[in-house]
Formats: sequence, structure tokens, C-alpha cells
Amino acid sequence: MTGILAFVEQRDGALKRVSLETLTAARAIADLMQGSVTALVIGPPGVDTSSLGTYGADRVVVVADERLRLYQPGAYTAATAARVREEGPAAAVLSATALGKDLGPRLAARLGCALASDVTALAFEQGQITVTRPVYAGKALLRLRVTGRPSVITIRPNSVTPVERPRAAAVEQGSAMPAEGSVRTVAVKEPPGAKLDVAEASIIVSGGRGLKEPANFALIEELAAAIGGAAVGASRAVVDAGWRPHADQVGQTGKTVSPNLYIAVGISGAIQHVAGMRNAKVIVAINKDKDAPIFKIADYGIVGDLFEIVPRLTQEIKKLRAG
Amino acid sequence: MPLKIAVCIKRVPDTETRIKPGADGKSIDEAGVKFVLNPYDEFAVEEALRRREAAGGGEIVAVAVGPDAAQETIRTALAMGADRGVLLKTDARVVDSLAVARLLAEDLRPGGYDLLLFGKIAVDDSSHAIGPMVAELLGVPCVSAITALDLTESAGSAEREIEGGVEVVEFRLPAVLTVEKGLNQPRYPALKGIMAAKKKPLEVKPVELSGSGIEVLELALPPERRAGRIVGEGPDAVPALIAALRNEAKAL
Amino acid sequence: MPRTFVPSRYQPALPSEQVILNERPGPDAIELDVLFVGGGPAGLAGAIALAQLVAEDNERGGGLGEVGIGVLEKGERLGDHCLSGTVVNPRPFRELFPDLHDRDFPFAAPVPGESVYVLTASQAIRVPTPPTMRNHGFYVASLSEMARWLGDQAEKLGVNVFPGFPAASLLADGDRVIGVRTAASGLDREGKPSSGYTPPTDVTAKVTVLAEGTRGLLTQGYLAWQRIDSPNPQVFALGVKELWETRRPLNVVVHTMGWPLPPSVFGGSFMYPLEPNVVALGLVAALDAHDGGLDTHELFQRMKLHPLFRQYLDGGELLEWGAKTIPEGGYYSLPDRRHGDGVVIVGDAAGLVNVPALKGIHYAMQSGIFAARAIFRALKTADTSRSALAEYDRLLGDSYVMRDLYRTRNMRLAFRHGFVRGTIGAGLATLTGGRVPAGRIAMPLDAAVPRTPGNASAFTPDGKLTFSKVDAVFRSGNATRDTIPAHLVTANGIPRDVAEFYARMCPAGVYEWVDGALRINAPNCVDCKATDVLGPRWTPREGGSGPRYKRM
Repeated sequence: MTGILAFVEQRDGALKRVSLETLTAARAIADLMQGSVTALVIGPPGVDTSSLGTYGADRVVVVADERLRLYQPGAYTAATAARVREEGPAAAVLSATALGKDLGPRLAARLGCALASDVTALAFEQGQITVTRPVYAGKALLRLRVTGRPSVITIRPNSVTPVERPRAAAVEQGSAMPAEGSVRTVAVKEPPGAKLDVAEASIIVSGGRGLKEPANFALIEELAAAIGGAAVGASRAVVDAGWRPHADQVGQTGKTVSPNLYIAVGISGAIQHVAGMRNAKVIVAINKDKDAPIFKIADYGIVGDLFEIVPRLTQEIKKLRAG
Repeated sequence: MPLKIAVCIKRVPDTETRIKPGADGKSIDEAGVKFVLNPYDEFAVEEALRRREAAGGGEIVAVAVGPDAAQETIRTALAMGADRGVLLKTDARVVDSLAVARLLAEDLRPGGYDLLLFGKIAVDDSSHAIGPMVAELLGVPCVSAITALDLTESAGSAEREIEGGVEVVEFRLPAVLTVEKGLNQPRYPALKGIMAAKKKPLEVKPVELSGSGIEVLELALPPERRAGRIVGEGPDAVPALIAALRNEAKAL
Repeated sequence: MPRTFVPSRYQPALPSEQVILNERPGPDAIELDVLFVGGGPAGLAGAIALAQLVAEDNERGGGLGEVGIGVLEKGERLGDHCLSGTVVNPRPFRELFPDLHDRDFPFAAPVPGESVYVLTASQAIRVPTPPTMRNHGFYVASLSEMARWLGDQAEKLGVNVFPGFPAASLLADGDRVIGVRTAASGLDREGKPSSGYTPPTDVTAKVTVLAEGTRGLLTQGYLAWQRIDSPNPQVFALGVKELWETRRPLNVVVHTMGWPLPPSVFGGSFMYPLEPNVVALGLVAALDAHDGGLDTHELFQRMKLHPLFRQYLDGGELLEWGAKTIPEGGYYSLPDRRHGDGVVIVGDAAGLVNVPALKGIHYAMQSGIFAARAIFRALKTADTSRSALAEYDRLLGDSYVMRDLYRTRNMRLAFRHGFVRGTIGAGLATLTGGRVPAGRIAMPLDAAVPRTPGNASAFTPDGKLTFSKVDAVFRSGNATRDTIPAHLVTANGIPRDVAEFYARMCPAGVYEWVDGALRINAPNCVDCKATDVLGPRWTPREGGSGPRYKRM
């Protein structure tokens, strides 16, 4: 096959939204190389794959087994590698999620091929795939040419907007591989009221040292809740101080994010934080110091006391949502 | 039972470094750049030390792929408490994860390690790949980006953060584990440790890289963000902000 | 008559009981033979020279055997706390490394030419270069980079270099210095151990070399403890420096006098080409100004708007910012002795700066080399007593260092009464080789000079050419944890005039008058020591705190 294998991620039997981003990227590259897209779904029986054709898959291969409901590294790697060997795509693309960041390198190592991870842009130039990936936590962009075939490419969430490219995708059943026994995912613990992860959220409200104490993060949480579907992020300073879990940290030793809207509250804008969020489409900064570096990269800023501004913002957004 | 642990570490620019592309347009200008032990690798070294303490003994080997200057990085791990170091020496600026993983796997394979620890990511090339690749090449289990760890003599259980949750993963030893921030709080090397590190063995082995099919076209700075504006001061500026977000930016 | 106040009235006493500890070293003490406190040019040159002498002795079969040499440095890495202009006289480099050429040294470029200007608010009047300020044959450099290079050389010679470990106290046995105790790290705001706590470590040595740099705490403690005086008190200036990437190359070393400093304030500015498109520039102002509103950082920011500087900086980018004090008292402010039982004092810690020449690095290194020779002899004879180490002061006294300092002994002092009289006085002093004005001009302690409260600033930085103190501290790379104990010690009940004096003087925005009280933003501190001279006392904090200068 000339084309792309798109690994489609499910969680608890439902397709993840990021998979549609992956599929959209796969479709775009496949079009450039005049090839086709095969979507590979590994998971429990009964995953609804009807949207995959809508977003550009020519074929859908489903490897269904109840034992594959959770991410089983061995079995997932084996099944995906087998599919790549069988179909011979130019590249296998995955989302650079927690799963993709684990499966991608395993797959590349098993296939003995090149890996380009966490890419934000893909192109097809002179018969070869080129990718752009942020390095040094977004302080620089590295453009790479993938000369080997096949290759494995993982795509950063939120860097592609899903586009509908409907076609009638034939669905085939692939054979399930038994779970390899030496490593096994036994459970997924979800915190009560499962919170949205900053790496996947399209809106992030982040708090920093300006909040003065951990309890004041309630202001940030209230704003995120009022916006709806917004994740709460944090600067390194407050994570290091133990106010927030590391999972919330945005920046070079935390997560690099590319949401549509990033609201930085009481964050001065240290270079390592900025590196992690400068790819946000719109940045809003609220800070009492008008000289804070964060204002240099913010699209919109308000200078003043966050303890007055944030509650007002929450209130106004609630009004907006109600109206 | 004593544990034999390998910790794979990397020399990287400090996270506060201002990145500037070098004359070749393909890598960074290293002038004036401060290099440090990759912050995530500090967690890996710390975990190795704690596991050795818990096991009542064993050996910790710090392994790095990099230029001669990476010896300094290895010394940092030795100062924290690792027993000896190995530098797989190459001056090549490596972007090819699999090439590095192959070098490491080859060196680690005959080592008889119970545990192979990595930082989950190197803050320079951010590829998040070497640990799982090495595991795959060695045919041993791997759990990446762990935030909690329980070990018995022959097996273990680890937690790793996934989007909005935590996976619980069981594995057998030997295994590769890559470490996320939050697993532990790394110690600062003590003066005594730094003194001792100077006398610990550090073997330098020249290596050749074999590429897997990826090459650098360009390293560039990201486009500058267009200058934004201050919409106002204090809470009274909130309506103006909301209007801008709705009408101009279409972000709300 | 305006209100005045005297800063010394509000200055806490030196915490001698914490600085000098008459205690046995702890059981986990590290035993060295010679310990250099401070990894700047003085300490590192000394460590290198000593390691060389020991190696030569062992090659000759001299029988000294292994000598444990250590260097403690409070910065996260060598050079992080080093700041200078910098134009360096390469003489001690050549002496230390006779097999190397100037091109092998960590210098940026030879001084290409020089210009001296007297500035007014709008003009720059070129004047002949005073003889003391001639820099032909010298090099533009970064002191941070020099320290790192020297550190590499020292390590190659087997010296133990320990960055990230501030010395907090001297360990004493009778009148003898037997080592130091380092500062703890990982304390919380209340001073209790938190995660990552590392207790203090004792390091013992037969000889401790105080190479702390300007306004060293252990040096102050030692001199006070041993009642070592000087004819004049040491006096200081504060230098604020920036590194800029410029659009237009600078191809000359520039010094200025006059504006923006008020006529009564001793000081001047510099601008040096570090690379074709990188310049180092700064402003130095004495700390004995009567105007309590003097704000060196702000004056420096205003200065950059002058056409002389602006022509280079417009469209450029601020790369780094830093600040440091300079001991300016010269010959008459040197401690009467710079050695004692088990101890010698070198470099800026001893006050070895040639103010008219604007140079101290070569003296620092040279004094380190002399210290090494004296210590080597002392180790050979197994006598590290005060009388054996007096050799250091003899070597220093017979050298060009002391001859230069003697010749320029009254130059800075002549400026006590302002710029015009000072220029005449300094000119006379130069022409007559220091003989006129006759005798010693007495200087008061900086903190004893009465101050007139200053007016509030009307200056607003533009964020392009000029920067606020908060922004400046950010550019210093300051990475101090803000959950550590406050390290600046103030007296209680500081009145508003005095608090605002601290706020103006401190270049790093540490002090603020807020809600009727002095607020101290201690993590901002970049260890320049200006307030240690005039007010709140500086004490060491955990290793790696403070600025992280890259090329200062």
C-alpha cells in the first residue's frame, strides 16, 4: 500500500477526539502521496467506528478483544507492528498522547525504523515526508526529513483541526493478539469527577505565584468551570511549592500545550513556562506587574489585582453563558 | 537482595537557556550555554539510589551517550551516589532516537541489570522515546512516565499518568522504567559525595552511530508572536477583554 | 534645613557570633589541606598556582605528597556570581600559564582602541584618555567565562571545585582558623528542614584562603574578631551592568564621566565590545552620596537613552543584567595585615582594586598566586602560623600590586568632595605619583555619611531600552527559591526615609515601603552587597541562590 496507517485511540470503548486529528493529518499526507488511509482501532468489542470514514479513512481495521480495553503495551505493539508489516504504509501515525508516546517508540524499535515524535506539522516534499517538531520545549522548531520507510510519527494533540473528508470506509476485523504477559495494565484509576488534562484541553486557565497561596486556586477552578471544558494549569513555581500536582504543570519540565485559549493568571512568564504555552492560539495574561514578561507574548492583557479581576471575569462569563 | 541498576542519563542545556540556532542552521549555538543533567534523569538517579537503599545494596551504573563533556554530567550522577559511569562517546548531534537506543541497548544487554531507569523525556529533543525503545530492543517490559512504584524481588507495579487518570501497570523484572516528575524529590549532591565522585570509575567508550532514516533539515526559532495589547487595568477592563476574545480572537 | 539621617544608625551589628564559631568540626567533616573560600579569579588563580607548586615539588621528589586543595563557591556554578566590566590585564594569566599564548586565554578580543568622554545630558565631549585608564594591550572579556575557564584548569590539576556551597562561618580554634562550615540547603521559610534538606558540612584545612570577593562576610568577621584595622575604612561603589545584542558594532572601549551622575557623586560608565554585535555596558556610582535618593539602576537606565549609547542599543536586545559592589578605598583601606594563623585574605575581599585604572582582576589573581607561594612554603615547613603566612604580605608588599596601589593612594579619596575638586585632585595625584595632595586624605565609613531623603522617582521604563528592577532581576537569571528563610537582616522599626533609601539604592528591587512598613523581597537579591555596606546585613543562603550570570 502507498499510504498511511493511522492508529486510532479509544478510551473505554469510545474513540478519542485526538484520533480525529490524527486521521485528518493522515488523510492530508496520503492525499499528497496519492495514497490511502487505513485506520487501525485496537480495543474492546463494540467500538463505534462510524466517524472514521467521515474523517477520511479508506479502510478501518478493528482488532477487538475485551482484554485490549486498556492499553496493553505488548499486545498493542505486536498488533500494530503486524499491521504495518502486512500493509507496508509509508508511515504509521499516532497521537502523541500518553499512549502514543509509549506505543510510538516501541513500534519504531520493533520495526527498526525512524521515529518522529510530537510533531506539529507534516508535509510531503520531493517524495518524502517532512515534519516539524518543537524542541527545547518549544523554544526552537526542528524540521526533519524522514528518509526511511516505513516510519512512525506521533502528532501533538491540538495541532491539527479535524476536517470531515467523508468516504465509505470498509470495516475489517483484524486478529487479536494475546496480551504479552511480562507487562500488563491492570486498571485505570480516574479521579472523582475526572478532570481534563492540560495537554488535551482546548482552553487552559493557569495560575502562578501571584495567587499567593494554594487555597486561592479556587479562583482559577471557578473560572475554568464557568468557561466550561477548560483545564486548570499551573506554573513550575507553584508545582515545586507543592500547591498543585505535577500533572498540571505547563512549561519545559511540565507539559507543552497548544490550546486555543490560554489564560495566565499571576504568572510572570519565566522562559521555561513561556516555552510550554507559546503555541497557544490566543494568550491572555492577568498580572499586577505591567512589566511582567508574560505581557510580551500575551495577545490580551489586564494589569491589576487578580483577586479583583478574576472573580469579575468569572461572573461576566457566567452571565454570557446564561444569556 | 542487592539490585543491579542502570540509569541512562543525558547532558542537556539548562531549561532557562535562551536557544539560538547555530551557524549550521541545524543545531543550537552552544556558546555560553550551561549544560546540566537532564532534570527528569535526576528523578531516575534518585529512584535508583532509593531502590538500592531499600534493597540493602547493589550497584548503580550511570550511562550516557554524548560528547566528552558529558563526563561532567555523569560525575553529577556519581556525586548523587551512583557507583560508576559509562560514557558512550560520540560528538554527533543526535536526533535519531533509535540510533541512540541501539547504542544503549548494546551496552546494557550483557550487564545483567535488574532495573533500567530513564528520565521520561530529555528536555532538549523532547522525544520521549529512548526508554521504551531500549526495552523493546532488549525484549524486557517497560512502563513509561511513572509517578509511583512498588517493587518486589522479581516483579513490580507502577502508576503512570494518562489524560485524566492513572494507569496501574504490573511488570516482571528486569524492566525499563522511565520516570516522571513527582515520583521523588532528588537530593542535592553533598560535598562528601562530590569528593567521592572524583574517584569513582568512569569508562569512556567511543561509539559509532547508525542512522535509522531521519535527517535534520533546519533548526529555527518559532515565529515571534505578534505584539499583543493591554486591554486595560483592573476589573473594569474585564468587559473589554471578553469583547476582544469574542469578537476579534473568536476564542470564547 | 532638610531632614537627614545617618544609615549606620539603622544598621544591625555584624552577626559575629554566627560568623566565627569556636567549635570542633563535626564528625562528617571533610579534611583538606588548603581551602579557598570563593571561586572567583583570586581563589581559582591561587588554587591553580598551589596545585602547580605541589605537582612540581612531587616531580622533584620534594616529599610534600598529596595536598588536598578545595574551592568553595556559593553560585550554582563557577562564574554565576562573577561580574566585572571587563577589561583585563593578562599579566597573571601569563604568569600562571607560561606555556599558553594570550589567544588561549578566555578573552573575547584585544582592546581595539579607546575613547573617554565627559557627558552632559545631551552631549558627549571627548577628552584625552587619562594615563591610568590606558588599556592598550589588555583584553575585553567576561569574568563569568574567565572563572569557568580557570575552574576547568584547576580541576585538571586535581583541585576540588565545589560550586553551590556557600561558606557560612569560620571554624576557629583559639586565634587559628581551622576551616569553614557551609550553609545548609533545603530549609523552609521558617528555617526548618524541608524536602531536599542538606545539613551544613564542615570543611577543615591547614590554611583557609578568604577569596570571597567584595564585602565578604567571613572576611568582615575575621577582621573584626582579630581587631585588624586599616588607616581608612573600606569604601564601596555599586556597579550595574548589562549585556546587549546590538545592531551596530562597537569597535572601541568607551568610558564616560559626568552625567547622569550628580556632580557630587564619584563614578562613571563603561561600554565594551564583547563580540562584534554584543556590548557590555554599565554605570558605577560610589555609595557615599549625600543624596539618599540616588538610584544607580535608574540612572543607568536613563543613561542608555543618551545618544552616545542609544546609537548602539536602539533595535538591540537586553541579554543579561547584573550588579555588584566594588571596594574602592585603595591603599589606605587595606587591612593592616592580610594574614593570620591558618588564614590569608586575597583579591577584592582584601580590597585589592586599582580604582583609577578601573581594574582589580589581575590584582585578585596575583594575590592568589602570592598566597599560593606563601602557603606552599608553609606546608613545606609544616608551619601555617601567622608568622609563616606573613610571607604572603611580604610578597604582596614587594610586588607591582602594592606599588601601583601606593602610587594611586589618594586618587579616589580626592573625590570625596565632588567631581570638580576631585578631578583636579586626582589629576594632581596622577601627575605627582600620588605625592600630592600630601599625606592621607581621611574617608568616613560609607554608612556614616549623612543622607538627605530623596524624591520619589518619576521614571517609567519603556521595556525596550530601559527596564524596571523586576525585569532586571529576571534577566540576572536569579533562580532563588522563594520558600527559603530571608537572608537579609534588618533592624526593627526602619522609618520611611530610610526604607526608601534602601529601596532606591538596591538595584534588584529587594526593598519596598508598603503599608507603612519596610517589605523585603529577599529572593530578588543578586548578592551585590550594596545594602550590606549601608544597611541590612547580607548572610549566605542555600547554595545556588542568587543570580546566574552567563557572561558578566
